[in-house]
Amino acid sequence: MPLWFYLSRENAAEKVNFRPVVQRLARECYAFTLLLLRLGIVALVCCLGCAREQQGEGPLSLVFKHPKLLSREEPLRVLLDQFQRAHPHVQLQEEILPASSDQQHLFYVTNLEAGATDFDVFALDVIWVPEFRRAGWLHDLTAYLGPEGLKDFFPHAVEAATHAGRIYAVPWFLDAGVLYYRRDLLDQYGLALPRTLAELTGAAQRILAGEANPRLAGFVWQGKQYEGLVCVALEFIRAYGGEVLDEQGEPLLTQPAAVAGIGALRALIAQDHVSPPWVTTADEETARHVFAGGEAVFMRNWPYAWALLNAEGSPVRGRVGVTALPGSEAHPGVPTLGGWHLGINRFSRHPDLAWELVSFLTSVESQRSLALAGGLKPTRIAVYKDSRAQQEDPALALFFPLLWSARPRPVTPFYLMLSQVLQGELSAAVAGIKPAAGALSEAEQQIRRILALNPAEERHVQDTIE
Amino acid sequence: MFRTQSSERPFCFVLPALGLMAAVALYPLASTFWLSLRHELPIFGISRFVGLAHYAELWHDQRFWNSLANTLYFTVVSVSLEVILGLGAALLLQQVFPARGLVRALVLVPWFIPTVVAARMWEWIYNPQLGVLNFLLVQSGLSAEGVNWLGHPTLALHAAILADVWKSAPFAALLILAGLQTIPPDLYRAARVDGAGPMQTFWHITLPLLVPVLGLTLLFRTLDALRVFDTVYVLTGGGPANTTETLSIYAYRLSFQTLQFGYGAAVAVVIFAVVLGVSLLALAALRRLGGIPQ
Repeated sequence: MPLWFYLSRENAAEKVNFRPVVQRLARECYAFTLLLLRLGIVALVCCLGCAREQQGEGPLSLVFKHPKLLSREEPLRVLLDQFQRAHPHVQLQEEILPASSDQQHLFYVTNLEAGATDFDVFALDVIWVPEFRRAGWLHDLTAYLGPEGLKDFFPHAVEAATHAGRIYAVPWFLDAGVLYYRRDLLDQYGLALPRTLAELTGAAQRILAGEANPRLAGFVWQGKQYEGLVCVALEFIRAYGGEVLDEQGEPLLTQPAAVAGIGALRALIAQDHVSPPWVTTADEETARHVFAGGEAVFMRNWPYAWALLNAEGSPVRGRVGVTALPGSEAHPGVPTLGGWHLGINRFSRHPDLAWELVSFLTSVESQRSLALAGGLKPTRIAVYKDSRAQQEDPALALFFPLLWSARPRPVTPFYLMLSQVLQGELSAAVAGIKPAAGALSEAEQQIRRILALNPAEERHVQDTIE
Repeated sequence: MFRTQSSERPFCFVLPALGLMAAVALYPLASTFWLSLRHELPIFGISRFVGLAHYAELWHDQRFWNSLANTLYFTVVSVSLEVILGLGAALLLQQVFPARGLVRALVLVPWFIPTVVAARMWEWIYNPQLGVLNFLLVQSGLSAEGVNWLGHPTLALHAAILADVWKSAPFAALLILAGLQTIPPDLYRAARVDGAGPMQTFWHITLPLLVPVLGLTLLFRTLDALRVFDTVYVLTGGGPANTTETLSIYAYRLSFQTLQFGYGAAVAVVIFAVVLGVSLLALAALRRLGGIPQ
């Protein structure tokens, strides 16, 4: 008798021995599970068969995963169409990731951790490359590149993708911290471009005093607790000759140079009053909006702001300049390097074909069209030297020296963990909750704990390629 | 009618529900606890059993204690405010006035807005340069340059609490209003006959009879507040300087931003233990007060 018979009210009223029912239920469940299992196996065999068939006869499928990197998609679309036309036997698919950097990272990690084969080429933030390389998720590209390697590329971008002489990703385009300034205000007060932080502070104070506008800020930057703050802090630490990790991977945060750098960052708000207290909540867009509204004299930001500040309708159009970040008396400013690399999934079924796409997208021609139509900063030196490109986009020549001096964040598979620690402690230092030295020594302790998670041979930071 | 001689029958009836519970609640719980006993770092290919080492590590982890303190503070302050404001609103909405139905519906609007959307709205309200709050402060001359709501180490957590209270007090009001409806009107009539004033009626009739509902409201809101993630994450991301980092945000960061799955699971287990402890205490207290039958 089926189970529902006993469950219906009238029959349930009879006194029934339930043991056989439970046994029967168990038997039925068992049989059902077996059935499901059989169906599953049949389905699996079918799929495998289909997949093999597809590999043999149908077009090869090549999947390119990337976040939306351009404000307009057309330049990349044109390139991918071009690649498709040159490879008629390939079915090229472009798949776009969500906008948040955390989510992109999470997507890659969960999929690659599970050995996903459903994407071949993917775009990675420069800070993920060592991590993914260490996890064994990136195809070694050294053989494809040949003895020349990535000679024509920005060496510091290549450094971020290199481990023990092997190259695991190709730099696609660059980013670096730069200093925007109001040319009209500097001219009006007869001030020269600041080369050091002290000069910048002095210039900002002069202008603030002269303008007497309570809404005008001297120097805006990214002080919110997030990755951008680590980039800014690193620039300040390096401006005083400091570093986060030494060549052996030992933390250097309690060294006087690091403390001086972070102290200087806090002093901008607390002592010199050139940075308003709200910079401790600002990201790049907050800073850009304020600067674009004519309410700041100096701004630390990425190159993307240049086109927007000079766009039609921008209140500061034509009154803005861009220059190198200030240093200290003894050291020049060192911008933090950002940008995106292209890598090949280690589990990809057609790495050779994937390499063709990587090599095509990072070629001089592709980078030139991405730069001219999309405003991205190329990773190949040749594009900056190209006279036609220079003519079409004067910003390329303007940004070249600024990008050239940029240095990567510590190149280590631990980077994301280090950054999490640094974000909290640096935020405490810039918001004035802890003194710079205290916050940095707390960060150093936590970083030592993280570095101890893993065997020593992985700890050394990448040898610098000069 | 059902007879109750068979002891197997009730078990058989709840079997599907038990199975479902085991699949969606017990299994993830057990699996998280197991994960918390393991060192899982996919990046370095590390996967090994470490026993209670993660819990020992938590004991020395300042950031963990800081996030626990933030969570408890957030919970106590936001839930008290929500219940008090909810009670006040419910008493007002219980009165007879024109368009009462419309007002009752309008009061609930914040509760209907998805949390992330509400948090984004508050983020703009608090914006130091463009936010409406600072605009009003500056226009009214109360402050020369506005207040750095989300960047100030002590204000930020309170700003998050305010956003949460705005969103959740209507929920408390709804529950309490439902409780008010169950109080028999004869009691009020009898009190009026006996010459009791409004304050006496409130203290001796309304409040004692509301205790079970208040207790439940408190419990629901506390359990939500202890797990708070979205409001705070959107508003401040845990900053400045982790002063708004809650346990859930810390667990999320450990597991999904830095991929220390084992250690992150240990924090998640602590959240579970805190929530379970609070629920058990609250249920025991409610039984005592007669809110829930034995």
